[in-house]
Formats: sequence, structure tokens, C-alpha cells
Amino acid sequence: MTITTSAAPPPTHNRPVALARGFLTGGVTGASLAAVVVGIVTENEPLIVGGACLLAVYVLIRHLAGLPRRAREAAVPPHLALAMIESLEAVGGETSDIPVKFDLTVAPDDAPAYRVEFTQDINLADLPDYRPRGILVVQYPPDRPLKVRIVKRPTPDWEERAASARLDSAPGPARASDPWEGCGATLVGFLGLLLGAALVVLLFRANLFDQDDSDTARPSVSSSSTSSSSTTTVSSASGTVALGPGQSFLDEGRLGRSVAALATGVDKQRALTVVVQERLLTVVFAPTGTQAASRLDLDSLPYDRVPALVKEATTTLGVGSPRTWQLTADRLTGAVALRISVTGSEGTAYLEADGQGKVVRRVPAGG
Amino acid sequence: MDRHVYLVLWCGVFGAWALVGYGRSLAGMTRAQRTVRATGRIERVDEPRHGSSPSDGIAVVVSFQDPSSGQEFTVTNEGDRGERISVAWTGREIGVHYPRGRPHAFRFTNHLSEGGRGLGWANFALFLVYAGLVAVAAIDWGWPWALLGFGGPWALSGLYHLPGNIRDRNRRIDQLAAMVAVSGRVVAVLKSVTVDSNDGHTLTNLMPVVTFTTLDGREVTAYCESGIPDPARSRGLNLTIHYAPDDPALFVLDVEAERRSWKRDMVVNVVGVLVVAAAAVVGVVAL
Repeated sequence: MTITTSAAPPPTHNRPVALARGFLTGGVTGASLAAVVVGIVTENEPLIVGGACLLAVYVLIRHLAGLPRRAREAAVPPHLALAMIESLEAVGGETSDIPVKFDLTVAPDDAPAYRVEFTQDINLADLPDYRPRGILVVQYPPDRPLKVRIVKRPTPDWEERAASARLDSAPGPARASDPWEGCGATLVGFLGLLLGAALVVLLFRANLFDQDDSDTARPSVSSSSTSSSSTTTVSSASGTVALGPGQSFLDEGRLGRSVAALATGVDKQRALTVVVQERLLTVVFAPTGTQAASRLDLDSLPYDRVPALVKEATTTLGVGSPRTWQLTADRLTGAVALRISVTGSEGTAYLEADGQGKVVRRVPAGG
Repeated sequence: MDRHVYLVLWCGVFGAWALVGYGRSLAGMTRAQRTVRATGRIERVDEPRHGSSPSDGIAVVVSFQDPSSGQEFTVTNEGDRGERISVAWTGREIGVHYPRGRPHAFRFTNHLSEGGRGLGWANFALFLVYAGLVAVAAIDWGWPWALLGFGGPWALSGLYHLPGNIRDRNRRIDQLAAMVAVSGRVVAVLKSVTVDSNDGHTLTNLMPVVTFTTLDGREVTAYCESGIPDPARSRGLNLTIHYAPDDPALFVLDVEAERRSWKRDMVVNVVGVLVVAAAAVVGVVAL
């Protein structure tokens, strides 16, 4: 049987629409994923749910919109035709089914022959069956003649036709099967994905960057307050007050006020140690529920005496400039004791006072 | 948002899905209800080529008749055509189903059973609603509700089906005793090589193909998925095949091993039901 062939361009499907659909799919996917990620970062639950729902609704709409086309295509059986292999080339693969690029002349019974190029997986064991000039049976959807697939197990009547047929080559070049479903569509989809994600990030950039700032400034403690002059930080184990520049705990009444502010809402008899430096106050608390004998009552300390004691320690114990000082109050020896150490160019001097702020011991620098 | 708002959304979406599914089933509009079921007959069996792929099943030519129009169709089993045909002989009856009016979209089934009411997805949606309720109950009121909520219905279902399962396994063990032994031969070993996308390892799956002739003259070609110790070198190997006289698709190489396997399966079934029931009881006690 000889079938006369002639070339004719077969119809193709709408490329711009396919590209637009790819771009939209990429855009919606990018926007949804970005919305979920931004929602997680900014702890914005409605944004997370909205992102997930957007993708779900888009998939649903695409599915419903495609129903009539799929039903129309499914209702029509694929067309079968004889075809001749012009050339074939294995294009790689490590599995038993390797992708093979075919160039075929397809000869439909009721239409002119045409050339088409496509790739289909062929099993290695079956590869010797496919040789140039060999006759095959192919199938394609009636409205998409370029979407050709080789029928590997034709029915007996088509098997007979293929065995006895002789075909002439149609003039080339071969048209690629679905070129726009390849590289171009992927690129456009990726572009849409990037744009969709960028749009969401831009819309919520203010929340994102605010979140970053507050995250870096937030300490890992139970409470924190900041005023223009000092920063107070309190946890169950300790409390600190840091003064701003130009201020000192030796200023009149400041130490007492700072301890009172720091101890608000805290058991004032739970303190173990109070350490005061020029601009830093630290109170260490005993663990809740313990009964340590060395606890201090914060209300009982002689805060008003501290500036005078520090002044005495820095001026009378032979320590030269520059000087730093530190006061430590505790009850480690049973009675309340205040120890002031002053360090300067001549070394370190100590001054000890009792719970009323009365000096009980002096250790000059170098002594 | 509060988790109860999510629960309402969850139950709303999947509840609506379930309702739509049950409504479609009542109206006779589910895919299973609109499927035409015919009985096909294998007209020709091609011997598999040594080294080819087992994925498409044994190459057969099947004829069937559309029940409504009476039109005859002759088809082959290429590509995605439902269940893989792994046992074939000329004259074997095989299930063919397709959407109404679209016989070209046929699928094969190895069993000639009815299709049911198509409630699979609706039941799955209802299960998701139930799982959501149990999960929130377990978070709100404690883990015993999870044990009770999931273990309880599962245990009841297992207990309900247990007698039937035991009867089925006993029937299969009886069937083994009635099997007929004939000689068979491995005519080809099919090979499928895949590459793991995660680690790049190559996985090779070997499938020996045996042929044997039944006492009443049927020439059976079948994939032999287990029972051959060294499949790679098994081509040409002569074997003893035990098959069920009323259905040669049921065949084994080692009757004793198969009997032990079915007995073990029965024990696993009973133990599984007991474990799930125990979990449900622990849940009730811990409430």
C-alpha cells in the first residue's frame, strides 16, 4: 500500500494564551508562597491563611475552567495514523526507558502528510524496533496534530497496515511538538513567580522591616522598660538599671529611687546581693521558694549614705585618678555589710560599712 | 485567629465537600455510577520480550462489546489503562470499564465486580471533618480523647470486619489445598531501571515471566513477583506451578510458604485489632 503525501502546516493551539496562562500561574504561585512566608515572619495569621486560600481557589478555578475543554477532548477518540521514521536520536537517560527524539512523517488517511519532531521514552530492549524508514502507528488529538505519540502496541488491523505500508517523506523541516510548553513557558512562569512574590514583599515591606528592628532590640528577659534616662531590666533571677550618659548613682536620691523602681512587683526580701557602679545597678535575687539565710531586705539598706561612703573611700584611702568604684551589699557573714572598692593608679582600696552605713573598716591602697 | 475558627473553617470546607459527594451519589451522578462496565475477552497474548519493561503489563489484544450499542471493540493494553494485566491466557475474561459514551477511554480491571456508589472521596472528606474534631478535642481536653477518638471507631470497624477477614483467609488456605501442580518455565526476565531523584542511586526491578499449560489446555503467561530465588539468572528455569483449577490467575510456586504466609497474616490481623481496641480502652480509662 502506498500513500501519497504532501506538506501542509497543521493547525496549532493558541500560544499567547498559553503564555499568559503560564505567567498567571507563576504569579499566583509566587504571591501565595510569599504571602505564607511573610505571614509567618510577621506573625500575621490572616496573611498565611489568605496565601494558602489564594492558591487553592486559583487551582479550583483553573480546574473548573478546564472542565469543558477536557470533556470536549475526552469525548473524541484520538486519531490514528501511519508514520515513517525520518531520523531518531537517543537524548540521554540512565533508566531502562530512555528519551528518544523522533523526526517523523505522519500520514493521516484524510489529510496531507506532515513532518513532526517530538521526544518519547522508549525501552532499551525495544529500541532495535525503531529504525529510520521504519513504519509506525501514531496517535494525536484531532485538534492538535503536532501532539503525536507512538502507539507501541497497535491493534491487529493497524499492525497489518503498518507491516504492508510504504510511505514517502514529507518535505521538512519538522515542526516541534508543543514548543511553547517547553523553555518559553517555563521562563514566563518563572518570571510571573518572581513578580508575584516581589509584589507581596513590597506590599508588606513596612511590617517586615519593623519586625526585624523590634526583633533585634528585644532582650530575652521577662520584662524590660526604657526611659530617656535609664534602662531597667528585670527577670526572676536578677534586675539591672543602667543610667544614661551624664548621670550617676551618686546623684542625690537616685539610688534609692532606682532600687524602688526595680523592685516593683518583686519580693523585696528575696535579694541576695546588690552591686552598684557609677551608672550600673544590679540586684541578684534568690530563687523563688527558697529560704536562704543570707537574704537582704532591699528596704533596709542605707541608700542615702552611699554617696558619702563612696566619697570617703575615693578621697581618704590614697587612690589616685582615674578612679572606678563599686559597692557590694550582702549578708554573707550574717549581718548586712557594704563593701566599697576603689581602684586607681596606686592600686585598690577597700572600705567596709555596716547595715546603717557606719564605717567599720578601712584598707588603704597598697595596704 | 483562635484554633476553633480554623476548626469551623476546616469542618465547613470538608463538610461541604462530603455533602456534595453524597448528593451526587444520591442523584446517581458520581463517576463510578456513570461508568459502563463490560466483560472483555483476551483474544491474543504476546510473549514478553526478555529485558523489556514490566510496567505496561503482558501485551494482550482484548475484545469487548458496548452493552448499550452492541458495538464490538478490539483494543490493546498500552499506557495508562487501569490495572496492569499480569496474568493472561487466550479466552480469559477481564473487566473493562469506561465513562458512558466514551469506550475509547477504557480501563482494565482484573476483577469483574460492580463499581459501587462512588462515595470514596465523600467518605474521605467526612473522615477529615471527624479527624479535625478529634484533634481539637485532644488539644482542649487532653490526649485520651485522641486515643478514644481515633482508636474507638477503628477498633469497632476492625471487630466488625474480623469474622469476614478470618473466613476469607480460611477460604484461601482451603484453596491452596485444592491447587493442581503442573510444570512451568521462566520464558523472560523483564527489567525496569529507575534512578532515585534524591541520592542518584540506580534501582533495578526484575520481573520473571513464567508460562504454564493448565490441565484443560489453557496456556498461561504470568508475571511471577515472588518465589524465584535468583530472578536475574532464572531465564529458562523449569518450575512446578500450583494453580487454582477454577482460576489459573491464582498460582503459587511454594504452597507451604503461602499457607504459612496466610496464617501469619491472620494473626497480624487479630493482633492489630486488639492493639487498636486496647488503645481505645486506655483512652476511656484515662479520661
